[in-house]
Amino acid sequence: MEPILAVKHLTKRFGDFIAVNDISFSIKEGEIVGLLGPNGAGKSTTIFMLLDLTTPTSGDIRVLGMNYADDREKILSRINYSSTYIELSPRLTVYENLLFMTRMYGVVNAREQIEKYGKVFNIADLFGSQQYRLSAGQKTRVALAKAFLNEPTILLLDEPTASLDPDIADLVRKEILASQARGMTVLLASHNMAEVEEVCDRVLFIDHGKIVAEDTPEELAKAVRLVRVNLMMKDGQKRTVAFAKKAGFGTTVEHRSVTIEVDEHDIAYLLNGLAEKQVEYSQISIDKPTLEDYFIKVSKEGRR
Amino acid sequence: MNWGRVLGVIEKYMHESRRDIFRVFDVIWWPVFQLFVWGLFSAYLQQVSPNTPNIASVLLGAIMLWSFFDRASRDVSIIVVVEMWNRNLINIFATPLKLSEYLMGIMVVAITKLMVSALFLVFLASVLYAFRIESIGWYFIPATVGLTMLGWSISLITQSCLLRFGQSVEVFIWAAATLMQPFSCVFYPVSSLPPWGRMIAMTLPSTYLFENMRGVMNGQPVDMTGLGISFGLNVLYFLLALWIFYQAFAGAKVRGALVKQS
Repeated sequence: MEPILAVKHLTKRFGDFIAVNDISFSIKEGEIVGLLGPNGAGKSTTIFMLLDLTTPTSGDIRVLGMNYADDREKILSRINYSSTYIELSPRLTVYENLLFMTRMYGVVNAREQIEKYGKVFNIADLFGSQQYRLSAGQKTRVALAKAFLNEPTILLLDEPTASLDPDIADLVRKEILASQARGMTVLLASHNMAEVEEVCDRVLFIDHGKIVAEDTPEELAKAVRLVRVNLMMKDGQKRTVAFAKKAGFGTTVEHRSVTIEVDEHDIAYLLNGLAEKQVEYSQISIDKPTLEDYFIKVSKEGRR
Repeated sequence: MNWGRVLGVIEKYMHESRRDIFRVFDVIWWPVFQLFVWGLFSAYLQQVSPNTPNIASVLLGAIMLWSFFDRASRDVSIIVVVEMWNRNLINIFATPLKLSEYLMGIMVVAITKLMVSALFLVFLASVLYAFRIESIGWYFIPATVGLTMLGWSISLITQSCLLRFGQSVEVFIWAAATLMQPFSCVFYPVSSLPPWGRMIAMTLPSTYLFENMRGVMNGQPVDMTGLGISFGLNVLYFLLALWIFYQAFAGAKVRGALVKQS
């Protein structure tokens, strides 16, 4: 089956600076794909090229088997986009802004769609308010409602839950998953690793304009082999730290709490060693690596 | 051309204009201000030169036609620059909306504002200075159409500059028309200019229109050759300005300026 979104050898240069460097990826229908990477990695530039707001220096973008040179209108009528960092017209009311967008996308049942997503994103009571009077979180919810108005086949989301309260952010994640169930394809750029782990089927990790990893969130997290062993000490804190340092493990001490970073294969060695040193602790917990650890690892490597 | 989207653009800017008291004020304020100053000046000239017939009417006619050109050159650009200030261009152009549809929509909005402004101006001139629009006759129509068209050409060039150089050049929105005023011979005949100035004046469609207006108001027939040249130059400049604007828009997408300015 042909991918719903296919990017081949996409490059964007701004003078000498290469924002996106020969990336290729594809997304299948109904997939939710995370686009991760540090600030300035090339995520937003990639999204803007996918929306035909920025012209690529080279490479090919195929959306639903079409390209922008021949079918811009058809493509954009089936895509939508939302970002925390964009604004709708400040003087218009929320309803007028949404109505304008339905006109642009040629939504036939405009009023029904506005009512529907007004309820979903809990903004129906803001319909009469002018956009500039809204809080950051309210603006984000309006931008999200706007992104769903035309029931897009492909939804591009840039930091969709930034500035939202946790309960609303949870509601948004549920709506993203519900839209996937309806067959929508989503490309999600986010710094919220827990969110990406929760909703994404696959993650593209981009750094310095290149895709440096592409896998499921679980598999990427596994690439970080270090686990954190957290000990609440009763007796032998100095012996513990000395033993960990001698073994070459990273150690963090805070009051009676000691955290030791070890390769998962060395956990048994650490615990045996501490037992031999007759160390006593009241609590122990082991944190497995997460996608955030992977993000930090790759970001650090990128800065070197 | 998708007329539903054009209508959407018109509806959006009509709502915005209605909500923003300063923009409503702008439609009325400048024309009234100019009319007031020039009206008083005309009345004074009529007093000191009683042997020069019609001088007050000619000046008032000139200021009214000039306000068409002045407004047309600014209104469309102001809509675009406000979208830049509001960081809303991404939302607009991430939709299927075509550039031609957007331009069509904002030009309709600009015409509407222009009509409101002009009607108010004519009314005020007739009440304050007993100015009669009939003194320009049917020539009023080609003159206003020609000056509006030239104003839009200037506006498209200004917008191209905004897309190319960013908001730092937005001062041209207000200055562009004024820069052309001395050579358009709004208040004096072309013969008043030095020879090099006349050469520049002859390349401007506005010069022929104002020259003709003075003739008509002094009882002469419309110079159809001048009107034809003006129309030809207007079409040429408008097409050229449109081409430059499309190039600037494409260039902004290449440089990523469309999303940076938003």
